[in-house]
Amino acid sequence: MRGSNFSYLVRQGIGSVWHNRMMSFASFCILMVSLLLIGLALLTSYNIGVIIGNIEDTNEILVFIKPDVPDSELSHISDRLRSNYSYVESVVFVSKAEAWEMMKEYYGGDGVEYLFESIGGEDMPSTFVVSLNDITMINTAVSHFRAIEEVESVRASHDFAEFLISIRNTLTIIAIAVLIALIVVCLVIIYNTARTSVFARRMQISIMKHVGATNAFIRFPFFIEGMFIGVIAGAASWFLTMQAYESVVEIFTQDIMILEILGLSNLVAFEDIMWYVLGVNCLLGAMLGALGTVLSMGKHLRV
Amino acid sequence: MVELKNVDVHYKEGGVDALNDVSLRINDGEFVFIVGSSGAGKSTLLKLLTREKTPTNGRVFVNGYNLSNLKNRKIPYFRRSMGMIFQDFRLIPNLTVYENVAFVLRVTDRSSRYIRQRVPYVLNLVKLNDKARAYPSQLSGGEQQRVAIARAFAPDPGLIIADEPTGNIDPELSYEIVEILKDINKCGTTVLMVTHEHDLVKYFGGRIISLKKGNVDFDDYIGGDGDSE
Repeated sequence: MRGSNFSYLVRQGIGSVWHNRMMSFASFCILMVSLLLIGLALLTSYNIGVIIGNIEDTNEILVFIKPDVPDSELSHISDRLRSNYSYVESVVFVSKAEAWEMMKEYYGGDGVEYLFESIGGEDMPSTFVVSLNDITMINTAVSHFRAIEEVESVRASHDFAEFLISIRNTLTIIAIAVLIALIVVCLVIIYNTARTSVFARRMQISIMKHVGATNAFIRFPFFIEGMFIGVIAGAASWFLTMQAYESVVEIFTQDIMILEILGLSNLVAFEDIMWYVLGVNCLLGAMLGALGTVLSMGKHLRV
Repeated sequence: MVELKNVDVHYKEGGVDALNDVSLRINDGEFVFIVGSSGAGKSTLLKLLTREKTPTNGRVFVNGYNLSNLKNRKIPYFRRSMGMIFQDFRLIPNLTVYENVAFVLRVTDRSSRYIRQRVPYVLNLVKLNDKARAYPSQLSGGEQQRVAIARAFAPDPGLIIADEPTGNIDPELSYEIVEILKDINKCGTTVLMVTHEHDLVKYFGGRIISLKKGNVDFDDYIGGDGDSE
């Protein structure tokens, strides 16, 4: 296609937005509301993911070292834990003395100091506190660490880890299902709105077919029109998403206690993801607008 | 060239035989009137020639294309080899006269320079240069049909099919429309005009194909009353 004809078709497509302004406005509103819902669903899912991630980060494995292992060996064990296993995020060493102090602090109190007199810090095991970068590897990690010769025992909260994994998996499935459902509903509504608009221009399409226009040539202005409405609706829904999200964050941040109780102290700031959300909204809007419009032309092209 | 060889068209809905074993040949450069009463098969014949329909049996050739086995993706390119004129003009209402004519050239991917030269030329042929900026709704029926003729002729097609082009305009203007089509025919373009108006056919004469109940009832040349005037 020649450049001049390409720019002509683009102008036609954008011009049609104004010529068919009522239908364009209807499509715009539907797309904007759908994208707002999709955006809020994605943000909710994203935040839940971040919160679960934070909780996962606090889930640690305690690796107890045999008492007879000399102190000189401990740094080697630490290095091996760090370098041999890709799922290890961090390794923190807790010496016998530190462990002893921690125990006294935890169990100690007025009138019970005598309990600690008969035993000494030397009886405490040296310990490595290992964090994982992937909580699903917790069982593998435990079995790997148990196989290390110098390790006496390993303690990990399997149940809690499995609980987090199942929540994450369920949320992922729900998020995908909601996203697909919203996209399908949006596409169906846009398809039907565009069908009315295309029906009003069926004579124009029929003329184009009779003078030898290819289907691609006929679809192109409709494609541009749908895409243009979609991008504008994407930008508008982005603005509304930002307002809604910041209102919710403001409500929560008015009382820090609510955030702490609900574990929401790490809500993602909109500024951190605003360009990403704008990109997704505009891209999704353009795709839905263009696809819905082009699909609605189906039978009118069979002339 | 247009050629039909033993063409049958049968509509399953209602079990109607629209065309029965029709064979005819129209050579390049001819001007042919196609006449017939309602249900004679004129519309079906036009649909065959524009490849909106394929025959139940037989073969159809237009401008070198075998329409019986023409692939769907080739149909637009075939249609570019002909111009269509409709009874209801079918102009795009939101485009000016100039843009309506230019539109068909854009469809065929002609350059902007060619469009700028060709559109005024064809508008001059139909004497509508002064209406180039007008919209179809601002024109009379006769003027709108002249725009439709200019649009059909703009890509310089080998064949123009006019489906009752005088059906929606004043009788006195009908002669003017046919005169324009005759002028285009003199340039070498084959013109096939479907009409109900026997007075018009008698006046201009020439080759007449009459359809009756799906058969070619008459196919011959007659002298026109207008020839003696």
